[in-house]
Amino acid sequence: MLGEGDSKTEPKAPGGRRAGGRGPERLGRRAGQRRRGEHDAAPRADFRGRRVPSARQAGAGPGRSARFSAPWRPTGAERPRRWPCGGGCSVGHCHPLVVQAAHEQNQVLNTNSRYLHDNIVDYAQRLSETLPEKLCVFYFLNSGSEANDLALRLARQYTGHWDVVVLDHAYHGHLSSLIDISPYKFRGLDGQKEWVHVAPLPDTYRGPYREDHPNPAVAYASEVKRVVSSVQEKGRKIAAFFAESLPSVGGQIIPPAGYFPEVAEHVRRAGGVFVADEIQVGFGRVGKHFWAFQLQGEDFVPDIVTMGKSIGNGHPVACVATTQAVARAFEATGVEYFNTFGGSPVSCAVGLAVLDVLEKEQLQAHAACVGSFLMELLGQQKAKHPIIGDIRGVGLFVGVDLIKDKATRTPATEEADYLVSRLKENYILLSTDGPGRNVLKFKPPMCFSLDNAQHVVAKLDAILTDMEEKMRSCETLRLQPEAALLSPPLGECALLLVLGDPELGSLPSAVAPSFQTFCL
Amino acid sequence: MCELYSKQDTLALRRKHIGPSCKVLYAADPIKIVRAQRQYMFDEKGERYLDCINNVAHVGHCHPEVVKAALKQMEVLNTNSRFLHDNIVEYAKRLAATLPEQLSVCYFTNSGSEANDLALRLARQFRGHPDVVTLEHAYHGHLSSLIEISPYKFRKGKDVKKEFVHVAPAPDIYRGKYRENHADPASAYADEVKKIIEEAQNRGRKIAAFIAESMQSCGGQIIPPAGYFQKVAEYVRGVGGVVIADEVQVGFGRVGKHFWSFQMHGKDFVPDIVTMGKPMGNGHPMACVVTTKEIAEAFSSSGMEYFNTYGGNPVSSAVGLAVLDVIENEDLQGNATRVGTYLTELLNRQKAKHTLIGDVRGVGLFVGIDLVKDRQKRTPATAEAQHVIYKMKENRVLLSADGPHRNVLKIKPPMCFTEEDAKFMVDQLDGVLTVLEEAIGAQTESVVPENTPCRTKAAQCFVGSNPGRGHGTAHQTTLRQRPTCHN
Repeated sequence: MLGEGDSKTEPKAPGGRRAGGRGPERLGRRAGQRRRGEHDAAPRADFRGRRVPSARQAGAGPGRSARFSAPWRPTGAERPRRWPCGGGCSVGHCHPLVVQAAHEQNQVLNTNSRYLHDNIVDYAQRLSETLPEKLCVFYFLNSGSEANDLALRLARQYTGHWDVVVLDHAYHGHLSSLIDISPYKFRGLDGQKEWVHVAPLPDTYRGPYREDHPNPAVAYASEVKRVVSSVQEKGRKIAAFFAESLPSVGGQIIPPAGYFPEVAEHVRRAGGVFVADEIQVGFGRVGKHFWAFQLQGEDFVPDIVTMGKSIGNGHPVACVATTQAVARAFEATGVEYFNTFGGSPVSCAVGLAVLDVLEKEQLQAHAACVGSFLMELLGQQKAKHPIIGDIRGVGLFVGVDLIKDKATRTPATEEADYLVSRLKENYILLSTDGPGRNVLKFKPPMCFSLDNAQHVVAKLDAILTDMEEKMRSCETLRLQPEAALLSPPLGECALLLVLGDPELGSLPSAVAPSFQTFCL
Repeated sequence: MCELYSKQDTLALRRKHIGPSCKVLYAADPIKIVRAQRQYMFDEKGERYLDCINNVAHVGHCHPEVVKAALKQMEVLNTNSRFLHDNIVEYAKRLAATLPEQLSVCYFTNSGSEANDLALRLARQFRGHPDVVTLEHAYHGHLSSLIEISPYKFRKGKDVKKEFVHVAPAPDIYRGKYRENHADPASAYADEVKKIIEEAQNRGRKIAAFIAESMQSCGGQIIPPAGYFQKVAEYVRGVGGVVIADEVQVGFGRVGKHFWSFQMHGKDFVPDIVTMGKPMGNGHPMACVVTTKEIAEAFSSSGMEYFNTYGGNPVSSAVGLAVLDVIENEDLQGNATRVGTYLTELLNRQKAKHTLIGDVRGVGLFVGIDLVKDRQKRTPATAEAQHVIYKMKENRVLLSADGPHRNVLKIKPPMCFTEEDAKFMVDQLDGVLTVLEEAIGAQTESVVPENTPCRTKAAQCFVGSNPGRGHGTAHQTTLRQRPTCHN
């Protein structure tokens, strides 16, 4: 038990990275610090999976990135048997520097942001250095959902408008206000509210404008323009256009370059603001840039950016970044914004440590490198396995779109589910998403290695090969009626496809024996 | 003390980069806190403050057991609740054991606001009703959905009360409609709720829930009279609604005799949904909603998953478990009762001495001192309250003022608060009030009629330029500051 006052205890410096006070000169950029968005050039993957120089061709040694300087590696005892390909632990589970930062600060002070403290201002400053200059005002919260809700409040207060334009299949969070703007959720629950307007997802694989369209960015942006116009014709006013910079739940979608700038123009002309939801994809994941919205061009700057998930490597942190104009309009309501835990010294110490690790271990460049390699390998698999309809991605944000038919691009939902459960048996954690729940999504911790990529793809190859062989060999079996309802007949064995589907916990008994035959 | 920036620079950076809606305490002269232990906070000069307001640091700032539990788990695993893990189930089990039997299903979130939002979703999904009955001056959180049901917030801003929200009078027996001299204020206030429900029903509206803080904090440390919640529950359930008890500020043994504040109302009162947060993790971001199996099943029947990225993670759960252990091992509930009783006794003696103190109310370590200009009229002494908290800060005691008139001094310290701390706090308060009353007395002797604006101005002028203390400028500014709440 601590003594009262405990004035004899020597307080430790907050955060693991500090070394003495640095005074006012730190207000500016630190010496040697990179400019925003700059990073060592790495082979950029074509997000459609077309041939790109491999890491080896770029001069890297076998199985190692040329720019991968001594990162933290688990020891043999700690090495996980499972290779996770999804989750919010951006710099790697239980990264010791992040743990140390949290622990050191936990021992000294963890209280609310109504007291002055260095961590919150330092963190805000560091974040501002990663963003375009006008995004310089921050609000700290605990979850991406809280961040998106605040973004909504900021947008409405700033514009004085109410309505919101979102993308189809979007997901912005679990709060009441966000379910209302998440077609991914509201279509299954309360339905679309009259102040919510849905534009087509800019999916150039499965959407109305595809890879063969001369200018899908403009075409999809015109859809938004059409939505905005029809809203205005009804006498309604747009407060915001909300979009995940790379829609994840919608199926690992990479919006075509130029889409966001066009959309922003239409939205701003109507008096609305552009909100970029970077909760899934920020912090260097896309490799070439720190923020995914930066893929849309140097000139494109959202009005509000929300961040979460990977920001604290698992610690509950999130953030909204916006302009001074938006922040001042919010202040003008006279109502305080107070978030009990948001911006606490520990949360900020954790956030700072994550930024440090990203920088020290050059994880952004690493993501570019491993991401390209992964895409290349997957591209080879696509050529080999007809079930792979599309490979798309950037950095360590990759989707593998599984289809039943090349022409129709019908989602191979059951196959995807089966594949995920087979991968799990092989100690690889993957999940699926997209409206057809058929897109394998890769968004692993950023320390994911070339070896990991090779291993996962090798396993994927083996399982897909096995699935294809079994489909060929079961032409002699009759298709059961129940199974036929689950997937359209393809002249292939549909029985195999129900395996591992959690919704089919109890199969009809007529199917069960066949199930056991193919269950490995 | 290892500071990155000087206090001036910290403030400058804050003005540059932190949303201006995020206010600091003592805005005229903010404090920079760099360290805290137990019930004490230390500024950048090493000055120690007695913390009387941080109920979030429930078991004491930086409690080593809690810090250790977090470290141990952070080194091993911190991931989401879609994987099986022992910590979340163990924690749910331990929490459920503190509650009446029917409250057995837990949803873990990161903040009281997320918890209250989920509580609303649960209530609305249950029978498909949309409307909510809330209390005047209530505050349930900063999210869009919660501002709609928090008159404390929407009355201040330009937001209009939504038609699906119905506001009942806060059951304040000191300043409300029915006071301590009423024969049965509990029934009277509950009947107000009944009236509101009937009016709503007559307009074809359907009540999903009645939501109330078990004890209003922003509303001014209000303790609802015994019997109130039982009657309200009867009326609400009678029309198919549910009762949500918001324990975000006041749970985890703060009231001393019980673990949950709603339990003060008797074993026959069991809410349908309970939300908790703030003290739960001693500062770690975590919160929870506990409800009945029936409500949980109705929620899952929509088929839609509820997934909260960080909620229920192994570290948060480990921290929550450690906090429960400390509450038990250190008998913090017992401490809250003993010290709370002693504190209230000391304050009542001050009330006998100082006419500025209109009311002292509280239970356990949740206490409010209602400052008034006039004991008969109970006119809130808003400016005086601000003056007091600034003077107390100079005397190294952290207090805040709340209530709709910002005149209630709130005391809800870490639960390791001692009798010595209570004595110290009250002694300082005594000194401050004595000086303040002398000065007010001197001012009013210059024959200013009682009800004229000048009298108010006289008090303000005093506060603005206290000749005895020479802190004019700082305190004049205080009159313009919006006092803070929620903690």
